Amino acid sequence: MLVLVRVDDRLIHAQVVIGWKEECRPDRIILADDNVAANEFEKNLYISAASADTKVSVIPLKDAAERIKRGVYDRDRVILLVRSPEQALRLYEYGVVFDELNIGGMHYMEGRKKVMEDFYISDEEKSILRELVKKSVVLEARALPGDEKVIINSKIV
Amino acid sequence: MSDARIRTAGIVVTHGKLAEELIRTIESILGEVGDLYPVCSENYVDTMIVKKIREIIETYKEGHVVLFADYSGGSCFLNCIRAKVGVKGVKLISGVNLPVLLDFVTKRGLMDYNEMTDHLVKRGRDSISSTS
Repeated sequence: MLVLVRVDDRLIHAQVVIGWKEECRPDRIILADDNVAANEFEKNLYISAASADTKVSVIPLKDAAERIKRGVYDRDRVILLVRSPEQALRLYEYGVVFDELNIGGMHYMEGRKKVMEDFYISDEEKSILRELVKKSVVLEARALPGDEKVIINSKIV
Repeated sequence: MSDARIRTAGIVVTHGKLAEELIRTIESILGEVGDLYPVCSENYVDTMIVKKIREIIETYKEGHVVLFADYSGGSCFLNCIRAKVGVKGVKLISGVNLPVLLDFVTKRGLMDYNEMTDHLVKRGRDSISSTS
């Protein structure tokens, strides 16, 4: 069961491991990212960042989608992490249908402009999020469960 | 760059602006110190943080560097690991606090590099106490 689908370019870090723990009570974190899954060093780094009582799966995006659709993780409470809006859209198009997407961390880099704290976006990423809005996905921006839940669908459109 | 005897630099890598504040506090106690740099993660993507750390390390090729991260397993800690991969003479200490940094600044010119980093870890642990 997916308890949180989150875009966060820091992937597994303290906000996810500690900040969302009480709200989500996850059994598993799935980090769906082709590059990280193919890089043993990065993979182990992210696994080391999770708490010992949470299982971690670092797998390519398509594999993650297929396993989720097959029900492999149905017994787990799962936090599903992707790095970017593009990955979130790909997941959706691979058949992982989610009603709500948490925009938890898109940090400053060249080409991105500030929307709010912890949320910077480029024009290209905006147009990708628009595709998710067209699919009636609610985009909610907040880093932590205690933060104000800001629905950004209208800002994106 | 400061005196040649002080060739061990410190880079404090933290969430928010903690690194800047820690160094500001150190300097309010000791006056201006050299070879100690803040890297605050703030709202930057990881690749930019790693680049900032590497740029500072690069200027200490002939010496040593100690990276201080605020939280073991946090994004700053992971970025320190990424920045030090394949670079000799760089050690990482997590759980940085004021006593650790004070000892680093005052003892780095007096102790052997390995001896000093062992000392700093012990100093950090010993500085945490409970009083009822």
